Amino acid sequence: MVPFRSCVVVVALLAAPGAVHAGPVVGKLELPPAPERGPVAAKGFLERVENPLAPARGVAVTPYMVVVLEGAEKPASPGQVSWDLVGESFSRPVMAAPVGAEILIKNTSKVARSLSAAEDPKLVPAGPINPTGPKSFRVTEAKVYSIGDPDAPHLRGKLVVVNTPFVSTVDDGGKFDLGDVPEGSYKLRVYYKDAWLDVAQDVNVEKKSKLEVSVKVPAFGAGKK
Amino acid sequence: MFLAKIWFFLISLVAAIAITIALVLPRPAQRTLVAEEQQRLVVACGVIDILLGDDARNRVELAGAFSRTQEIVAALEAASNAQTIDEARMKQVRDVGDAVMKTIQGSRKPDFAMLIDRRGRVVARVRLDENDFGDIAAGRPLVDDALAGYLRDDIWTQNGTMYFVSAAPVIKRDPPVAYVGAIILGHQVTNALATKLVSSLNVDVGFHLGKDDVASSKTLSLDHAPLLDAVKKLSGGDLNQDCQANQPIEISTSKEELTAVVARLPGEAAAKGAFYSVFIKRPESVGFMGTLKAVTQSDLGFGKFPWPLVGGGFILILGVGIALMMMESDRPLRRLAADAVKLAKGEKERLGEDDHAGKFGSIARSVNIHIDKLGREAKTAKKDLDQLLGPAPEGSLGTIDLLATALPPSRPGGPAPAVPPPPSDFRFNDPGPSRPPVPSARPGTPPPGMSRPTPPPAPPTPPSLAASMPAAAPGAMMLGDSLDDDILGGSAPIAAAPTPDPSGANVDPYFKSVFDQFVALKKSCGEPTSGLTYGKFAEKLVKNRDDLMAKTGCKEVRFTVYAKDGKAALKATPVKDE
Repeated sequence: MVPFRSCVVVVALLAAPGAVHAGPVVGKLELPPAPERGPVAAKGFLERVENPLAPARGVAVTPYMVVVLEGAEKPASPGQVSWDLVGESFSRPVMAAPVGAEILIKNTSKVARSLSAAEDPKLVPAGPINPTGPKSFRVTEAKVYSIGDPDAPHLRGKLVVVNTPFVSTVDDGGKFDLGDVPEGSYKLRVYYKDAWLDVAQDVNVEKKSKLEVSVKVPAFGAGKK
Repeated sequence: MFLAKIWFFLISLVAAIAITIALVLPRPAQRTLVAEEQQRLVVACGVIDILLGDDARNRVELAGAFSRTQEIVAALEAASNAQTIDEARMKQVRDVGDAVMKTIQGSRKPDFAMLIDRRGRVVARVRLDENDFGDIAAGRPLVDDALAGYLRDDIWTQNGTMYFVSAAPVIKRDPPVAYVGAIILGHQVTNALATKLVSSLNVDVGFHLGKDDVASSKTLSLDHAPLLDAVKKLSGGDLNQDCQANQPIEISTSKEELTAVVARLPGEAAAKGAFYSVFIKRPESVGFMGTLKAVTQSDLGFGKFPWPLVGGGFILILGVGIALMMMESDRPLRRLAADAVKLAKGEKERLGEDDHAGKFGSIARSVNIHIDKLGREAKTAKKDLDQLLGPAPEGSLGTIDLLATALPPSRPGGPAPAVPPPPSDFRFNDPGPSRPPVPSARPGTPPPGMSRPTPPPAPPTPPSLAASMPAAAPGAMMLGDSLDDDILGGSAPIAAAPTPDPSGANVDPYFKSVFDQFVALKKSCGEPTSGLTYGKFAEKLVKNRDDLMAKTGCKEVRFTVYAKDGKAALKATPVKDE
């Protein structure tokens, strides 16, 4: 369960200076049925059992999704991406950021954490992030990073660094907003949990118009690449 | 003795085997004991795993019951709908939780509770960090599963303390049914919990977080290195198989030696190296003496111990040994002893060599050889005396039988040659060739060490004899003087009178004694003694003695007066050793 699931965070706000912005690109993901809940993590002495009063809630997939719009536009001045550490988890388990962006992690919990990236131990500056304290670093390579605290295996987040400034999270309803996008041809991609989905939809952004796209997401677990 | 030796060897061999068995036999028993203890340890570990599972089930049920409390449902429903959690709401929800906690009694009472709203926010904490609220607990697998509608358990750690936690969703049951949050109950892992777990198992259990001890049913300072090594070897995914998968290990404390098995603990704590160990005191090595000490009186009862077999075996061994000794030693020895007695009595001339086997036959042969040797030596000595003395003339003083005591009555190899008269016999009045006297070591007295016959009381000198004696030479020692002189230790010079003076001036008391006995015997035999004088008698004895000593190498000569064929006779016996 991820809090604030209704909050859509638009990360890609900035385009290259001097570029001609044709208009905002918004859209909605047509989500397949929620996948089966995964095997129990950190199982205790017993297997988990469903309660007898209500059916178990399905897996919330949208917190684990980000949408990116890739094209010729490269992030010239990507700015800062804020990613909160809210306790026993990140505010979003999957976060997208353009190459060159500064990642600012704020610890809003009451526990100090020591974060590191599994793919690049030097990515996150060493040392704990104290409660209410920040820690920032810059990503320079298009890559997916697994950020976590070795002392709290359940505290893990995916940082998806892409070579485009147009990235967006997805709300509970599957909606996303990529902001103002310059005129041109793009390819829309969706990242879910720990892999890119088999979605590569062409998007043509025209001058001075709002573009709404609808993306059909294949069944989870069937179309990853 | 051959069979007795073989028997002794066999008994020694059996004894050695018995001792070896006695020393070795406790070892397999010890191994069996250790193996059984280890098996008991593994079983106890499995039982503890089951007990922990049962305990988890009880805790999950307790969490379910807690979450179904109406006050809890209402409080969390209200908190879930609130945009933010303030302190007032926290306290209100905490009071509700505390009130519900108080309804739980006994050992199932949780050590803390967390009340979480639908968004994963901690609305309130009860009895642990009570003033903390508003943080996001979602993200922890236990909380996520509870918010999703599952009941489950987990193990958390915090500041070196281990908690068995259980969670349940909080569901509003009034339509529309909806999830409004979750509750978490925690039970601290304590020494009391550990003791309760193993109360019926006769083992001890310890809970560890890496190299740190969390709780134990027995306060010990364990050596963690072997425990951690054993945990590292447990690589399988099924933690329920840990007890059977690992081998018991030996660990030491400052006080005792222990045998232990380890098993990993599940849940979040597993990532921090949580495990539990089950241990028992290692069985002490009893050994032979320990086994003996463990023997009870009932073990030696007739019903359990084969006393008849042991007793029969002992008697059999003893009987065979005694029989062999009698057969090979006692009886042959008795036969030899009897044979020797016959020999001593003169009933036999020799020991029967063929009658005695083995060493006893050797003894008989050795005795016979010595008898033969003595016979040969005596024969040689007699011949030498005959040559020395020559035959005694007829009608003389008597005879001197020099072999009278040196030879057995009948010699080995046949009777003595009957050659009358013996060459050594002589007539004492035979003047013979006059020979120069041979100086003796101590003239007038027997050689040192000779046991003289005790001189009989000096008989009164027969008048005839005394009259026949020539007058003593001036200065010559009289008979009484000679005796006194001998008794006084030989004040006279040793070489002063080497030869008895025929005139009686230098009278040897021994010779005089022999002379007196000889004269007395002749008289008693009715023989004439008119021509018999002490001087001639003593001169003859001295000559006879010196010749005999020169020929035979003996140290002294003993003279014995005796009657032979109704006549007085004299025997000279060479004495080699005293």
